[in-house]
Amino acid sequence: MPLWWPLLLASLLFAIGVYGVLVRRNAVLVLMGVELMLNAVNINMVAFDAHLRAALHAGQTFTLFIIVIAAAEIGLALAIVLLVFRSHGHIEVDRLRALADRDEPATEETGR
Amino acid sequence: MNVLLLVMLAVPFASGAITLLLGHRAEHAGKAVAVGGEAVALTLACVVAFSHLGSASPTAHVYASTAAVGPPIALSLSVDQLSAVMVLLVHVVAFLVQVYSLGYLAHDPRYPSYAFLVSVFTGAMSLVVTADDLWVLLVGWELMGACSYFLIAHHWELPEARAGAVKAFLMTRTADLGLLFGILVLGHRFGTYQITSIMGAIRHDAFQVDSLWLPALLFLAAAVGKSAQVPLHTWLPDAMPGPTPISALIHAATMVAAGVFLVARCYPMFLNSTSALTWMAFIAAVTMLLAAVHALTSTDLKRVLAWSTVSQLAYMFGALAVGSYSAAVLHLLAHGAFKALLFLAAGSVVHAVEGATSMTAMGGLRRRMPYTFVTMTLGFGALAGVVPLVGFFTKDAVISAALREATGGREVWPFVAWLLVASMIVTAMLTVAYSLRAWLLVFFGAPAPAAEHAHEPPWVMRAPLLLLAVPTALGGVAVAYPAFVLGPGRGGELFHAPMAIASTAIVVVAAVAVLVAWRRRTEWDLWRARPVPHPRADALYEFAVVRPVRWLAGGTVFGDREVIGGYVEGAAGAAGGLGRLLRWAQNGSVQAYLMVVVVGAVAVALAAGARA
Repeated sequence: MPLWWPLLLASLLFAIGVYGVLVRRNAVLVLMGVELMLNAVNINMVAFDAHLRAALHAGQTFTLFIIVIAAAEIGLALAIVLLVFRSHGHIEVDRLRALADRDEPATEETGR
Repeated sequence: MNVLLLVMLAVPFASGAITLLLGHRAEHAGKAVAVGGEAVALTLACVVAFSHLGSASPTAHVYASTAAVGPPIALSLSVDQLSAVMVLLVHVVAFLVQVYSLGYLAHDPRYPSYAFLVSVFTGAMSLVVTADDLWVLLVGWELMGACSYFLIAHHWELPEARAGAVKAFLMTRTADLGLLFGILVLGHRFGTYQITSIMGAIRHDAFQVDSLWLPALLFLAAAVGKSAQVPLHTWLPDAMPGPTPISALIHAATMVAAGVFLVARCYPMFLNSTSALTWMAFIAAVTMLLAAVHALTSTDLKRVLAWSTVSQLAYMFGALAVGSYSAAVLHLLAHGAFKALLFLAAGSVVHAVEGATSMTAMGGLRRRMPYTFVTMTLGFGALAGVVPLVGFFTKDAVISAALREATGGREVWPFVAWLLVASMIVTAMLTVAYSLRAWLLVFFGAPAPAAEHAHEPPWVMRAPLLLLAVPTALGGVAVAYPAFVLGPGRGGELFHAPMAIASTAIVVVAAVAVLVAWRRRTEWDLWRARPVPHPRADALYEFAVVRPVRWLAGGTVFGDREVIGGYVEGAAGAAGGLGRLLRWAQNGSVQAYLMVVVVGAVAVALAAGARA
């Protein structure tokens, strides 16, 4: 199998992930975009590992690390999303602008 | 004697400080300290004065001296005959004023600070009259200016009191610059600041005539300001909102007498510079007439007396200008006695009619206030120059000295001397007229409503009047024996029978004219109440000084707000605008931030790829 097939797949997945992070309004879908980006990296790692036939298989090892870290990250992130939903009643990322620099304190999306 | 002199100077300051410290906690004790301290000072002053009168030799002593830079500046005092009589005058009047104030300001809420300022005022004046070092004299001089400011503004809830105080302070301070520069000139010229040394040097070394015109003119400017002569004459009448005992103190003994005293103290210097004497004669001639006309048209009793002070001070300057030192000093002493009497009596009248000072609120008071009537009659008589009273003798001495100068003197220009003589004679008639007018308006005629329930003041206010009536009535003896008071060489012939007869004729003519006018008073304008005429000089100052200063102040405010403030506000505005521009990026949308990051990363990657 030529190397560029998995690389092309990884690039497509990464681009879809970037698109999801930048454009989606739903926080869960943004998280999914992040996951897609992580997995695109994983595919890259595995593909190069197989291509280079390294003795230590560092690529596969790092992929396992990334999967574990991604699992922890998604758990934490979903907990945050849950809390945001409880406090705001929605999880729309572009309406969460409490950190903007403005004159009067934000009242628009805090508290109901 | 040296220590005694120092103690005499320190007592008023010490008693004033104790009065102030006691304050309202122990007001009776404070009053006792103020009056008692002044009594002690008066006793010491009597000891000092009586040991220096007549042919006694003057005392001069240097207590401490510093020679850091230039001529030595010393704490030194000297007492001669002039200082002795001045010390006596100051302390007698100050003591009587302190006693009188016990009654006049009995319920005043600011009594402690008042008594403190009167004490400091007295101490400052005795410092001026005994100082031998010019800088010590300047200290007392300026201290008096400050005290008069505070005392004129004693009723600071009244706007005219505040305005009068500021006016007095500004005008006298402006003139004081003359004294400061005069001191510097004299120190540079003689290498010492000791008055006795400088005057001795002038007396013994043959200076060319008029070689000292600069310091003499500078000192004259200071004296003109302090003694309220033209063109700085307008502050004294405007100082009248102050308490009446203060007016007595300022007019009789302290503030305004200091100007005449300064000229008398530095008299050898003035005798050397005939240009200063000519100016002095001219100023005196103008001032006495102008002030007498103002006095004749005022309806306010205190303003009449204030203008009369200006006029009488001009007599003293006139006498000094024509070289008659003794006549000037004796007139100063006589004026001190009868003007203190007049002001204290006016205070009794004002007290009796519940604070009104306009003569329209008085009238017919002679039956209700016999003591005040008799003493004030003596005072007015002395002011007008009625025969046996003290003002008659001293004023005659002044006029005959001026006449002698005009007919054969060499001190001032003959034209100015004749102007002075004419002005003195006309002013003498006007003095009779305004004294008689005020006397008639206050004590005769129908009583005004406010004067219906007038009554004599308490004894504490009556006693000073009676005490002051004694020198007013009998002080003429001093004119007969001037050498007895002022020492040998100051004698001269001060009493001239033809002049006495002529001036009595003047008094009689003027008095008859006024009495005739009084009989037909319904038609004549002189008796009608009118708004207080404002001196024309004030309009000139308004135009020449006050408005330009206000314009300058306005320009300064504009420059500060619009130019200097403009830079500051511009800097703040620029920073704010830049901040607003940057804030636009901080919109709170996390995705927008990420977009910037991603685009940036892609751009960097592309650039790196392009280079590789």
